[in-house]
Amino acid sequence: MKKGFRTVCVILAACALFSSGAFAQSKTTVTIWNYWETPKHQETLARVCKDFNDSQGKIEVVTKYIPFADFKKQLSIGAAASELPDIVIIDNPDHASYSGMGIFADITDKMASWPDLKQYFDGPLNSCKLNGRLYGLPFGSNCLSLFYNEDMLKAANCQPPKTWDDLKSVALKTTKGKVHGFGISSVQNEEGTFGFLCWLWGTGNSSFKINDANGIKALSLVRDLVKSGAMPKEVINWTQGDTMNQFISGNLAMMVNGPWQVPTMREQAPNLKWNVVQLPIGKKAASDLGGENFGVVKGDKVDESLAFLKFVASPAEMKTYINDFGYIASRKDVAATQFTNDAVMKVFSAQMASAQPRGPHPRWPEISDALSLAMNESLTGIATPEAAAAKAQKTIDSIVGTK
Amino acid sequence: MNRIRLFFRYGNIGYLFVLPAMLYMLALVGYPIVSNFILSVQDVTVTTLNAPVKPFVGLRNYRMLFADGVLQTSLVNTFVFTCCCIVFQFIIGFALALFFNRDFSFAKPIRGLLMIPWMIPMTVTALMFKFMFSSNVGIINQFLQSWGMIGQPIEWLLQPQLAMFSLIVANIWIGIPFNMILISTGLTTIPPELNEAAAIDGANKRQSFFYITLPMLKPVIESVLLLGFIYTFKVFDLVFVMTNGGPVNSTHLLSTYSYKLSFTLFKYSQGAATANILFIILFAVSVMYLRFVYDDKGAA
Amino acid sequence: MAYKRNSDTLNRITLCAVSLIVFAVLMFPLYWMLVTSFKKEIEIFQVPPTLFPSVLNTDSYFAQLKHGDFNMFGSFKNSFVISFCAMLISLVLAIPASYGIARFQFRGKRLCILSFLVTQMLPVSVLLTPMFILFKNLHLLNKQFSAILSDATIGIPFSVLILMSYFASIPKELEDASRIDGCNRFSAFLRVFLPIASPGVIVCAVFSFLYGWGDLAYGMTFLQDQKMRPITAGIFNFMGQYGTKWSYLTAFAVVTIIPVVLIFVFMQKYIISGLTSGAVKG
Repeated sequence: MKKGFRTVCVILAACALFSSGAFAQSKTTVTIWNYWETPKHQETLARVCKDFNDSQGKIEVVTKYIPFADFKKQLSIGAAASELPDIVIIDNPDHASYSGMGIFADITDKMASWPDLKQYFDGPLNSCKLNGRLYGLPFGSNCLSLFYNEDMLKAANCQPPKTWDDLKSVALKTTKGKVHGFGISSVQNEEGTFGFLCWLWGTGNSSFKINDANGIKALSLVRDLVKSGAMPKEVINWTQGDTMNQFISGNLAMMVNGPWQVPTMREQAPNLKWNVVQLPIGKKAASDLGGENFGVVKGDKVDESLAFLKFVASPAEMKTYINDFGYIASRKDVAATQFTNDAVMKVFSAQMASAQPRGPHPRWPEISDALSLAMNESLTGIATPEAAAAKAQKTIDSIVGTK
Repeated sequence: MNRIRLFFRYGNIGYLFVLPAMLYMLALVGYPIVSNFILSVQDVTVTTLNAPVKPFVGLRNYRMLFADGVLQTSLVNTFVFTCCCIVFQFIIGFALALFFNRDFSFAKPIRGLLMIPWMIPMTVTALMFKFMFSSNVGIINQFLQSWGMIGQPIEWLLQPQLAMFSLIVANIWIGIPFNMILISTGLTTIPPELNEAAAIDGANKRQSFFYITLPMLKPVIESVLLLGFIYTFKVFDLVFVMTNGGPVNSTHLLSTYSYKLSFTLFKYSQGAATANILFIILFAVSVMYLRFVYDDKGAA
Repeated sequence: MAYKRNSDTLNRITLCAVSLIVFAVLMFPLYWMLVTSFKKEIEIFQVPPTLFPSVLNTDSYFAQLKHGDFNMFGSFKNSFVISFCAMLISLVLAIPASYGIARFQFRGKRLCILSFLVTQMLPVSVLLTPMFILFKNLHLLNKQFSAILSDATIGIPFSVLILMSYFASIPKELEDASRIDGCNRFSAFLRVFLPIASPGVIVCAVFSFLYGWGDLAYGMTFLQDQKMRPITAGIFNFMGQYGTKWSYLTAFAVVTIIPVVLIFVFMQKYIISGLTSGAVKG
């Protein structure tokens, strides 16, 4: 009996505790999906959220990790089942698709009065827009540049290439035995498109034009590199991570890759002597704008989500995390203060001036698929650059024409 | 009440045994099958995903898929892949089952260990094979070269036919334990007396295999082959990770192509239609199979 | 006699030798995985590849213990609970169903078998969205029960079809004999058929468990909380945005399978006793 009484007391006490806890919990919860898997990214993001949660008493931000490889699927399923978070951090070329699906809220009017919007670079900001309306904010940006192995180039008596012709000849000269002169991730997906577009744009074309002399020139470049033996055909199975691994294992003399690889390379291959220069130029300087955006999901928590975005986008807060993430800030004022002591990262900062966003187009995934298919066809020699270009153009026209 | 009792009196009591499992499966998987079918005759893409009413387009998705051409490749690939895998998995699995059925000290532990390929997450297995088949740093080319069997590295995953071959090899590796264990278990239900009696009657090993072992195993073999066919026909992870349909869409199976349409290109309805084609083929094969197997048994 | 014994021993040695060769060939991918897990990331991509790590690197294993908010031990428990429950559901439902199909004559029997097969005819990726909506309506999202229920849908048809052939192969005389001994259909099922089919039941249990163990898609999609997810979800920690971390990935795979292998080795005795039960003899 006594025991029973005590149990009841404990239960009552527990209930009291819980209910008082629930009472204090009048905060609105805002959920963020992200796909950053490295501990450092996760810790930094958690810290930023904590900063925000501590800064006010009304909104509680929580993050949920959805693996990168599963992210698009999870988001589509969530959209079909109307079971979505309040904010998603997504790869910027996909932003327009999700805006087109009607997942994201149109925040143009709510953000119109926000003075800081002017501070954003055009490229990243445009990737958040669809038909002139704003559906999110850039988180941070990156781009592609050329990495080279200093010892290998020196041994072949070469300077880092500045033009496409340089690239071909240096790549060929540094190809020796097991070492290939050049590599760029050319998988038949968004990653491959990402790598290919800097060539296509370098000819002066837009993402939507490939079946002309310029487009064929870009396709021929990758084909020539493979044909001459300077680039392994295997690049069609190499992700950007694989390419980096090949580079630091000494199997590549040069590669195209992004700043996010830099910390890993420094940690994994401390003795390797390498450096970065801007991408070789075709007709004009061009690079790919990568990076993530915040998308604000439609629903009743848009205002709370915006409060969080404005907080993390403030220069003071952004400075605390953007370097840790390995991104180049999408705000001019913050970007100017970054990487003053880091020669490698400075190259990427400078390259940003010529970086363009992909699309934006709601059916970008299909366009991207056509482009990467054409690139793969001519790279493997399954089709000529001309035939591949014609086929891709037909697909792209059927998509862009129906816009 | 009497009628109910009458209904269950004889063989119909079998319904009672079957119903719970049946209801369970229909509840969980029946709905997805129906909804997938509906999706395939609607037009659901990026722009219409959240529309309250989805436009009905009849067979347009199917027509568009056939016009595009990748579907045909995937269809052929799926059949080639399935048939090659089934044949070799089954033969190797059967041979190993017979081999390990003999009485020697390593038989049981090794047979047990051969199950391990089944325990590794499929994604890891696929990555492993992708790595082993890579032409530059792959161990397979390395072996072949050091044994002098090839001069130049073979471009396993870089050429359409070779890529298909590599996928088939990897899938056979995964499928062997499945066939081996099921047939092994089947073998143990054959009373040894049967073979002993046959031996006394003067049958040689080959005869007793063809006239005793095979007929006794018939039901097991039938189910192993049918299940193997269904599971192989819809293989997904392996191809998704190893080649993701490449090079240039040449190794897509219906399952990976459907995934690409739905979750990479956001053409949900066309993805559903592709999955439906896969479904219809498997359905037809199963009906034919059941006709073939159960007609002679005269199941009412 | 002595001669026969000698040839017998020789025979056995040959068999053992052959089995070792078979073992070596089939297990090579596993060896390669093990070796890779002990290499440094740079060595993995060396040309030519090394058959044995030049520097033994165990960091990949220690890294498994602490990785973000993904808890190795917790997820191991999750996987175990999910696969075990899925296995139980499969067996409880599939054993009677297969018995019913195999031993009774009733209308629509073929349709029954067909409908079990039909449920296996869509690739998992297509099932995810409708199932997700279903579980959302049942309020099962983010509860392990959703993964258990969906994993069992792989085990049930498999077990039904396999057990069906076992039950079917049991001679009719045995059933008649048990009826004479005074068993009704249910007790005949429990006391005669189940023991005879026990090797089949064990195999189905093993496979149903492994189907659940290997599942990634269901556990990943229906459980969004890292703490709930099965161990296979951990693969994604090394296959991220920035490419594959090979050494970690392979170490992870090794750690994932070791406990299961141990269970199997430990259970071998029981599995084998199931496999060699000679009930039909009597």
